[in-house]
Amino acid sequence: MSALGGPAQTAGFQPPTGMGIAVSIILIIVALALAFFLIQMAGLLALVGIVIGGVLIGFGVHFVPVGGAPAAMGQAPGIATGVAMLAAGAGLAGLFGGAWAAPLGFPLALAGGAIGGGLLMAITCTMVNVIYIFGMGIPSASGKVDKDPITGDTFPEFKSQGTEGHGLPFISWVGGVIGGALGGLGGTLIYLELLEVYQAQVLVSASIAVSLAGVFAIGMFLMNAVLAAYNITGTIEGPHDPKFKRFPRAIIASATASAVAGIFAIALFEVLMVFIESNLMGAL
Amino acid sequence: MAVKIEVGAGGVPHNQILIYGLVGSLILIYLTYLNSATNTEYFAFFGGLASVAALVWGADTIKHLCSYGLGTGVPSAGMIALGSGVIAALFGAMTGIFAPIVAIIVAAIIGAVSGLLANHVVRMDIPVMIISLTELAVVGAITVLGLIAMVGGTFDFQNLFGGGSVSLGLVIGSGVIALIFMLAAIAIQHAFNACLGPDEKQDRTLMLAAECGFLSMIPIAVISFAFIAFIPALISLVISIVGWLYTYMRYIELSKRDAYAWLDAKPILEPKGGA
Repeated sequence: MSALGGPAQTAGFQPPTGMGIAVSIILIIVALALAFFLIQMAGLLALVGIVIGGVLIGFGVHFVPVGGAPAAMGQAPGIATGVAMLAAGAGLAGLFGGAWAAPLGFPLALAGGAIGGGLLMAITCTMVNVIYIFGMGIPSASGKVDKDPITGDTFPEFKSQGTEGHGLPFISWVGGVIGGALGGLGGTLIYLELLEVYQAQVLVSASIAVSLAGVFAIGMFLMNAVLAAYNITGTIEGPHDPKFKRFPRAIIASATASAVAGIFAIALFEVLMVFIESNLMGAL
Repeated sequence: MAVKIEVGAGGVPHNQILIYGLVGSLILIYLTYLNSATNTEYFAFFGGLASVAALVWGADTIKHLCSYGLGTGVPSAGMIALGSGVIAALFGAMTGIFAPIVAIIVAAIIGAVSGLLANHVVRMDIPVMIISLTELAVVGAITVLGLIAMVGGTFDFQNLFGGGSVSLGLVIGSGVIALIFMLAAIAIQHAFNACLGPDEKQDRTLMLAAECGFLSMIPIAVISFAFIAFIPALISLVISIVGWLYTYMRYIELSKRDAYAWLDAKPILEPKGGA
């Protein structure tokens, strides 16, 4: 048994199926209704925040220059690892930054998350280029466009034959930082919304609320990042890549996945209360 | 660019592994309930064994999913498995004795939604996508729940809020779950990631999955010294190490079986007086 087929590798944009869109819309509406039913307006607003956070993550992943295995051999531009690893790195760095700043208020925490994620990607992209240029001795050249949209540098004369480009052009660097910032922002937003929901519970101590919100935020972050990775099927150069135009699909997918996962996270303590009450009734 | 990933043919059918993995891990995870029944903590290690059973099943599922060439690398499948699994596991853990069953149902819902999104919105159009992501989410949930039971002695989070079990509060509050998350995510994806290729053999891949599971059990057993009594934690540690040694040696044996040739490498001795 060898590879049986694989995802469609067409350059064109395949829109989501009608069934996919219908199911997404129904699931989001059901989740919002459930959130309102469980903890009224606070739940609804929290779920909306979680969905926005998920969409930011899914959108942000498209900016990050992911090169995969070909980049490790200097045959494709980008950072030489998979989307899941990069997104996890940037998102968790952002999440830590945001969680640390959480007691300082909502805006500051969000800014902390965005800066944390952006900073990690900035350092990663810079060091990737240091290794590419001074270690492997290859110039930065994109294979997808002839000119850097920001600096105006031309690429074709630097591109080696038989490769899709190599190194990390400036536009990819900028894309990486934007992607990291968006990912960190989204992860922190999910964390803060869940933290608010859990801290409103009388039964819950501070450390448990923080820990649960953090773990849920990590889980949702990775779900959204992997769905976005499936959307770009592996590698992308950054915002100038033609694959970037596929992002509307990832936004729909991220919104739905976050809504479904978010409703379970929000309903956590309502379920617990139901079971504790039924246990008490049984004891009486 | 999708990298062509090849898998070996033959071996035990996937559906059989699915049933063994699901039923086996469910029974093993319920055996930790003996802790509550007998008011001891000696049976915590069954949680770890449940996660090993689930991980073996998960490695086979990943093999099926990734043989289609996702283009995103095998680790992404492990990450989405644990990402959806940890949500389901923590949700399920709030429901007392029903925890494993509720976790499985919730994980199946989240996994099926992810699979549906991947196929119909993101348009991966992979035939096994929905069923595979459902299975992977269930595996992730069972693994997390099993390791929680191993480190804290129980998967029943209700004690946590009844003032009963102090240790479980520490398990969540100290962020051990984040560590469990990563240990399980690496264990679930490593086996196929390491063994894939034209000469992939199912028994070797699954043996590596079991080895990774026992390897993840060892740090969890060490951590459990902080949360459960000394003797039960020691039992967990001994079982983890013995299991790991056995599966590791079996894996090396199978690798030698499948290898064209091997060299029992020895350090090259420098000739006297210089070369």
